[in-house]
Amino acid sequence: MSKTLLKVEGVKQYYPVSTGLMGKTAYVKAVDGVDFEVEEGEVFGIVGESGCGKSTLGKSICKLIEPTAGKIWLDGEEIAGYSNRQMQAVRKKIQMVFQDPYASLNPRMSVRDIIAEPLIIHGLASTKEDIDKRVIELLRAVGLDDYHANRYPHEFSGGQRQRIGIARALAVNPKLIIADEPVSALDVSIQSQVLNLMNQLKKEFNLTYIFVAHDLSVVEHISDRVGVMYLGNFVEVGDKYSLYQRPMHPYTQALLSAVPVPDPTAKRERIILEGNIPSALNPPTGCKFHTRCPKCMEICKQTAPEKYQVGENHFVYCHLYDSDEAKMKASAAEETIVRE
Amino acid sequence: MEDTKKNILEIKNMHTYFYTDSGVVKSVDGVDIELKQGSTLGIVGESGSGKSVTALSVMGLLMGTTGKVTEGEILLDGKDIVHVSEEQRRKLRGGKVSMIFQEPMTSLNPVMRIGDQLMEAILLHQKVSKKEAEEKAITMLKETGLPRVERLMKEYPFQLSGGQRQRVMIAMALVCKPEILIADEPTTALDVTIQAQILDLMNRLKKETGTSILFITHDLGVVAETCDEVVVMYCGRVVEKGSVYDIFARPSHPYTEGLLGSIPKLGVHVEELDSIPGNVPNPKYMPKGCKFAPRCKYATDQCQETEPEFYDLGNGHLSKCFRCAGSENKKGVE
Repeated sequence: MSKTLLKVEGVKQYYPVSTGLMGKTAYVKAVDGVDFEVEEGEVFGIVGESGCGKSTLGKSICKLIEPTAGKIWLDGEEIAGYSNRQMQAVRKKIQMVFQDPYASLNPRMSVRDIIAEPLIIHGLASTKEDIDKRVIELLRAVGLDDYHANRYPHEFSGGQRQRIGIARALAVNPKLIIADEPVSALDVSIQSQVLNLMNQLKKEFNLTYIFVAHDLSVVEHISDRVGVMYLGNFVEVGDKYSLYQRPMHPYTQALLSAVPVPDPTAKRERIILEGNIPSALNPPTGCKFHTRCPKCMEICKQTAPEKYQVGENHFVYCHLYDSDEAKMKASAAEETIVRE
Repeated sequence: MEDTKKNILEIKNMHTYFYTDSGVVKSVDGVDIELKQGSTLGIVGESGSGKSVTALSVMGLLMGTTGKVTEGEILLDGKDIVHVSEEQRRKLRGGKVSMIFQEPMTSLNPVMRIGDQLMEAILLHQKVSKKEAEEKAITMLKETGLPRVERLMKEYPFQLSGGQRQRVMIAMALVCKPEILIADEPTTALDVTIQAQILDLMNRLKKETGTSILFITHDLGVVAETCDEVVVMYCGRVVEKGSVYDIFARPSHPYTEGLLGSIPKLGVHVEELDSIPGNVPNPKYMPKGCKFAPRCKYATDQCQETEPEFYDLGNGHLSKCFRCAGSENKKGVE
């Protein structure tokens, strides 16, 4: 039986912006009350389009930015209220891998120093020999060579840099790695190398991932469970088989239908959504998706939907599943899901 | 059936080199591409494969760089466009051939109203009055499905979203009814739902205007949905080309095979993705034989030594790999 490693409850991340009108402050509600749990050893994928708050959520969880509200339990410890000093011990358990491998490595530090830094800060290795030994171990773990230690970031390609970023995250033996778009800046052939590496490291080091990305195929490939975000909230959360084979929320359905399929013979019905994502400064009332939803009803404009269970491990925030009848239908459909 | 259409654009043995302080970079090194009238040709490849440089060479947009088309021909409607005056080039650009870019923000003038930018293109290429140009601009913007077009004409690029800017770019590119549209990663910077809108729009406008499209992208999904024919580039060379069906169903070059295996596909669950080991070689230190040999799982001694020529697999499907020797034309019979 696996246990809950991370529990997030009602996390909000608001950014104040001055509107200039009588000195009033408005808030960009980047993350607007999010709940989820991640079990030990699983990969939880977070997908959504730009501006949906997926990256902000990742950063709030490891408190790179202080969440406006909400509670975060990591390994049973409530860390939302922790000070920076208290967080230092926690950061041994939770690490991040960033999107841009060009911007997230200090160009003036050698690879050895980049990977050694967390070891020194957390007191995991003290002598020079210990540090060198550990750095080499980590480099090998991510598929780089020993001699790379003395080189500088600019001497590496994008894929290799991302490996260095992963080695740095692994240095403190974390339990949870939050990877924010780790492969989106890479070419496809390199992307698959990094995805395979992440899968392999997960088994080797017993890791748990939160994998944030906009690419639905990549998220399906790597994740066990997936949450779809829209304007700061989850609209649907479920295990990947159930969510991808039977998407319940109209937004998830549109999103999946929009993904181009690398098969010229495939014929598909595409749901084309009208318009753009509304501003998070002034989100629509009721269900935030109602302005673009092809199945919008009167109630959607007024009341935000609650969380409805539509499968064993599949939840959706949509008024369409309000009635008992709809729930029955949904759970009947759930039985047709193929799990490989 | 496709073969009956004539080639509107032919690139013959084109070489584009950049002369840098640290040596010559052979970005495009002998490329042959034919674009048939009314069809969409996809150029696929990873960063550094030379696909964008190919597009810029066709557009004649290498001035201001150290790059030059050093060898080969580019024939537009049978007429060479490499060795013509800058004046003639300018007439072609935006008139007969136009281009849309990846970054709609950086390719629109930030201090010029949308309407003025569109009208500039019209007034430059057509003998019409300002009033007529304005009407044309408005009609074209409406075609692209943009809302409140009259007001939008007076707005600046920063007031639009990414998807809207790309629609403006498309309107600007198509307003002079070009024969060829070159689209360089037009949807890469956009979200999937917006990408779907733009691809839909491009497909619709292509049908309506009969414009031929050269579609440059790294996204194989986009290729499968929009293109009739595909050219796969690696290290400044075409390694495989053919109809979209042949390329996806019967990839015969190991690089194409590797690319197709590298992408996770929706609804297909695999434990591990096929990946291509290693990296694209540095253009300054190109391997001697087949450029893909260092990363190829099938590479033999022959591949290290000699660069393969095209093998004809029938139905216009060509592949530059020694493994195709002996299987020529057989596949075309099926």
